[in-house]
Amino acid sequence: MKNLLSFFKGNTPATVGTIIVLVFVLLSVFAPWITPYDANKRVARGHQPPSAEYILGTTRSGKDVLSQVIYAGRISLLVGFGAGLLATIIAVLVGITSAYAGGKVDAFLMFVTNVFLVMPGLPMIIVLAAFLGQVGPLSIALILGLFGWAGGARVLRAQALSIREKEFVTAAEVIGESKWRIVIVEMLPNMVSLIVGTFAGAALGAVMGQAALEFIGLGDPTVISWGTMLQWAQHSSALIVGAWWEAIVPGVAIALFAGGLTLFNMGMDQVSNPQLKGSKNLKRWKKLNDELQAQRKAKLAASKASISKKSAQDGVMPV
Amino acid sequence: MGRFLGSRLLFYIAAFMVAVTFNFVLPRMMPGDPFEIMFAAAQGKIQPEQMAVLKEQFGFVAGPWHVQFWDYVKGIFSGDLGPSLTYYPTPVTEIIAGALPWTVFLAGTSTLICLIIGILLGIFSAYNRGGKFDSIVAPALAFIGAFPQMVSAMLILFGLGVFLNWFPVGYGYNPDIDAGWTLAFFGSVAYHAALPLITMVICGIGGWLFLMRNSMINTLGEDYITMGKAKGLSTRRVMVNYAARNAALPVVTAVAMALSFVVAGALIIELIYNYPGLGNEMLGAVASRDYPLLQGLLLIIVVCVLTANFLADLAYFWLDPRLRK
Repeated sequence: MKNLLSFFKGNTPATVGTIIVLVFVLLSVFAPWITPYDANKRVARGHQPPSAEYILGTTRSGKDVLSQVIYAGRISLLVGFGAGLLATIIAVLVGITSAYAGGKVDAFLMFVTNVFLVMPGLPMIIVLAAFLGQVGPLSIALILGLFGWAGGARVLRAQALSIREKEFVTAAEVIGESKWRIVIVEMLPNMVSLIVGTFAGAALGAVMGQAALEFIGLGDPTVISWGTMLQWAQHSSALIVGAWWEAIVPGVAIALFAGGLTLFNMGMDQVSNPQLKGSKNLKRWKKLNDELQAQRKAKLAASKASISKKSAQDGVMPV
Repeated sequence: MGRFLGSRLLFYIAAFMVAVTFNFVLPRMMPGDPFEIMFAAAQGKIQPEQMAVLKEQFGFVAGPWHVQFWDYVKGIFSGDLGPSLTYYPTPVTEIIAGALPWTVFLAGTSTLICLIIGILLGIFSAYNRGGKFDSIVAPALAFIGAFPQMVSAMLILFGLGVFLNWFPVGYGYNPDIDAGWTLAFFGSVAYHAALPLITMVICGIGGWLFLMRNSMINTLGEDYITMGKAKGLSTRRVMVNYAARNAALPVVTAVAMALSFVVAGALIIELIYNYPGLGNEMLGAVASRDYPLLQGLLLIIVVCVLTANFLADLAYFWLDPRLRK
């Protein structure tokens, strides 16, 4: 528990990011109790501006935007975290196997990873989804997870390779521990921070990818998620008509959630590379450094003044 | 040099074959008869003779799988991607040839601008670390970049295009001006490309800025930087010739990986701005279930991304003398 708290201390991005993500998760979990109206029912006339009754206004078809955005968050978060989990599991399996097995297995797995990395993901997903017809959130999560593991696999493999060279792994091998035990007990615990970072990155990509797919129209239109809200906003020309809340609210929701995950990732980066940390220490160092420079300048000016005064008294040219 | 680039080239060819195989396998993997599905999905827009052409184009003629595959590959390498269904009987290659330059122009120009501005701002941000720019402007740009691209695009379209009316809100160029190598045409193209470019640049800059900034911070801790300062070189020279030159290497690597995202972003931007590029065609093809066009577009997009990756490898090779041994 102390380790967990020390992770957040002095690490602003991690703290802010985790808070944002937790807020979204809590909103989604408690959605039925928080939302004032039913997200699927028409409650007012279309395109009402935000007011005391409808805090974020209503959509074209008269549904409350606030309720919609909270319920949509459920689906988007579910797909995002689900796809992120799937992608992370595949990345861990591929990365660690590749690093530990070495040789031909490594070469083959790296080839597959590089191919997936280089392929343009969204166009391939679009073609796949077009062939499948209209895909529900579960299928979208599956597809996004299957296409999103490559970056994490490469990073995890690099770290696994460096851990594999360490002495405690060699010691475990010499003792005769089984390969499975070495991987799970010795290597994995050292990679936890990177795996969590991979998960955050994969979830981020999945949320954006899902929004993009649904915006294009490939998602299930009967399921509300942030992407479908944006699609309806585009179809009803919300911005042009002046009903900015219909388009901005889901956009801000996605941006905030993506921002939270990104900040969390930045926080994880700071844990692994402390050089990136901390404007607080930097400010203090800057203040002290500025004082030091000012003192040096004052000393230099004083010594110059005394030298020129002395040379003026001796009748010699000042330096 | 030849060995490194040669192995990269082989890899890209292998990746292309994977995409071709994906294209080949996809219609055959669908449950049921793919053509019944396509026919039903197209809702009567496909004529029976088009169905026969489709079957032939996909290689569903008589013959075992490897024969079908070989015919399909032969067809692709001879430039025959079949006829489009929505624009029947225009061949897919013609439609692609019309749309390709626009997407390459949009994606390429925006990436270049993003890269240059992002690198410069990243250097400045790392140099004034903890200062006003680094603490306020840089995170603000990153936050704007975190907005989903469709929202930024809609906002810019509405703000700059509709409300302020500074730029036109759609199409590649003014239809009244004939296409050709005239100044008026290029002027119109630039005018119509302004909003999509602005959107892509604004969405992309945050990422590049932070990448360059972090890379610079890592580089500034190296010993040769201290040596340069100790030698008495001016700060600017140390920053540019020593630090930035080394810090730019990871950024160039990231360009290769970011290209697929750039293409994805371009798709959405083209949809919102009705820009006549590959993305627009692809989304139209999805709506009308024009499968030959869809698959042809996918292959071309894959070729573009692979080519751009190869160019990024060349650039990395040129920048890093250590690879030349």
